[in-house]
Amino acid sequence: MGGLEDGLPPSKRLRSSSAGSSSVLSGSTAEEQPIAAALFRDSMAQILQCQGQEETIGSRGLIKRIEFVRLISDALYALGYKRSGACLEEESGIPLHSADVSLLMQYVLEGNWDEGASTLHKIGLEDETIIKSAKFLILEQKFLEFLEAGKTLDALMTLRTEISPLHVRTSRVHELSSCLLSRSVNQNGLSCNGSLKAKLRSEVLDELQKLLPPTVVVPERRLEHLVEQALNLQRGTCVFHNSSDWDMSLYTDHHCGRDNIPRHTSQILEGHQDEVWNLQFSHEGKYLASASTDRSAIIWEVGKYGEATLKHRLCGHQKPVSQVSWSLDDQQLLTCGAEETVRRWDVSSGKCLQIYEKAGIPVVSCAWSPDGRSIFAGFADKSICVWDLNGNELECWKGQKTLKISDLEITGNGRKIISMCRETAILLLDRETNEEKLIEEDQMITSFSLSNDSKLLLVNLLNQEIHLWTIDGDVKLLAKYKGHKRSRFLIRSCFGGLDQSFIASGSEDSQVYIWHRGSGQLVDILPGHSGAVNCVSWNPVDPHMLASASDDRTIRIWGLHEANIKPRVLQSNGTHHCNGKI
Amino acid sequence: MGRLFAVNLEGKIYTCRHCRTHLALSEDVISKSFHCRHGKAYLFNKVVNVTEGELEERLMMTGMHVVADIFCVGCGSIVGWKYETAHEKNQKYKEGKSVLERIKVLGPDGNNHWINHEAHIGGSD
Repeated sequence: MGGLEDGLPPSKRLRSSSAGSSSVLSGSTAEEQPIAAALFRDSMAQILQCQGQEETIGSRGLIKRIEFVRLISDALYALGYKRSGACLEEESGIPLHSADVSLLMQYVLEGNWDEGASTLHKIGLEDETIIKSAKFLILEQKFLEFLEAGKTLDALMTLRTEISPLHVRTSRVHELSSCLLSRSVNQNGLSCNGSLKAKLRSEVLDELQKLLPPTVVVPERRLEHLVEQALNLQRGTCVFHNSSDWDMSLYTDHHCGRDNIPRHTSQILEGHQDEVWNLQFSHEGKYLASASTDRSAIIWEVGKYGEATLKHRLCGHQKPVSQVSWSLDDQQLLTCGAEETVRRWDVSSGKCLQIYEKAGIPVVSCAWSPDGRSIFAGFADKSICVWDLNGNELECWKGQKTLKISDLEITGNGRKIISMCRETAILLLDRETNEEKLIEEDQMITSFSLSNDSKLLLVNLLNQEIHLWTIDGDVKLLAKYKGHKRSRFLIRSCFGGLDQSFIASGSEDSQVYIWHRGSGQLVDILPGHSGAVNCVSWNPVDPHMLASASDDRTIRIWGLHEANIKPRVLQSNGTHHCNGKI
Repeated sequence: MGRLFAVNLEGKIYTCRHCRTHLALSEDVISKSFHCRHGKAYLFNKVVNVTEGELEERLMMTGMHVVADIFCVGCGSIVGWKYETAHEKNQKYKEGKSVLERIKVLGPDGNNHWINHEAHIGGSD
């Protein structure tokens, strides 16, 4: 890196007039000759050259010294270290603001409007429109201050001879003139509405600074902004990032280790007597519901330390249970029998509160309305219906709205119904406007899941790819995830982890797959199950807890720590489960 | 076995003999004059609910081809093969298409077509 060596006084140095800042440290600069501000030049490169300082710093020559030093000066002033800021300006010879800009700022704060307006021409602005807009700001303040002081004639002169000829913001000019008129009528000084009161001069200065280009006036706190940008970038590219941000340090690049991902089996739940097809954590993460071909569903309770215990076994369906759905308040659960009926259960008592069905038409999917007062269902005849809690049909969409094997989701605001309407397309039906949008793929879709904020949809395809779509506003494909195996079964995937930064999926090779959502990178593969993993669910409240459901009749809870697990032999009379020691 | 994902076809359907999983539509038949070890076979434009085995070079009656065996997703039994590449120019039309062995499938009317019978026994196929 170039620059001055320590101990060598420079031969020439320009001291900026630094009109806005306080006194300069005199100690280290005793040998210099102050040069009048009038000799200040626009091209600061010449200053550096005659001091022997290099124009760029940094290993790649990307950073301009002048810009860097000005940002640091601005940062020092913003932190409140005025003396340090002034010292830096002086020692480097690089003023934060050119002398004319400092003068401009001084004039504005003093209310010296005419000088301020004329200084605008000296600060190196090339764009006429910016000069005019800046002038307008200054003269507008002049006008308003005249008004407040009761000098209506002066205000009128300003408006007529100085502001109007600029020919900018004509609607604002009209406002100002009508304010003038009403003022002169109401002699007792009633002020006009809020936007016509004179601002504080410091506010005018702020607005002026925002208007002027960054080369003339450095954007406020720009260095902070750049550092935050770098931290965000580091966080975004950290594919294992799954913990809260406060331990990000400026000293080293942020880089999480794999130990933040739940990748160790912490528990094996052996409550079901046949394949487990579906499972889902409740919204608050206190319960886990699982659905099995043994025609039952189980509600597991998640304890304080993450240990799951069987709370209720929900029996009654005559067919394999294909789906579970939690009410928003986690007090009730819907279960769907495969091509059968929907049942509503009370979570605390485990009792079945209601059975929903349509004569002769099997139900294939179900979903809660977010307000908890109605239940949506997809049917084998490809229609979708809504029941109230008592089972009365409220609405029905006929025609090809869903398929025999299709998921059904309702967005969090209750407005959109999401369902597969064709083998290769998903329908997004807006209930209010009846507008239909489509997600179209060129492969067959097997399943999908909605993110917590209802803005993203994860779509599983026949060809072993998982596609991420955004459905908030424009429908667009964002990313693809590959690696897992699917050839015969319906395999489900989900969002999860901190800020839902990860995608997890089951797989026919008995493993759980985890990808980093932003980069698409496969982050981990979790072996352990001895049968196809059909479904995964990530605890929405605990980014370090993941559950998987498998054909091997078990559910595995994955966490950060290895546990001593010995899977026990399934007993035939059993509501039997095994707690691992953590 | 997990929750089977099988597509449902509508129309005149050929299904797997063992598990009745839908495999192809009658309207997608390209040719009925194919043969395999066990008898007749039909060439289809499109076949669903099958998984593919490994690709291998096979010498067929019509020349060298690269094919993969196809298996029913429902029960895993082999139902035919799929053409990946044909070495001879006049066989290129087969590429990407699949053959279902007649003995492995049930026809649209549920008819079984036994080998060595040239005449159809009632109904159309």
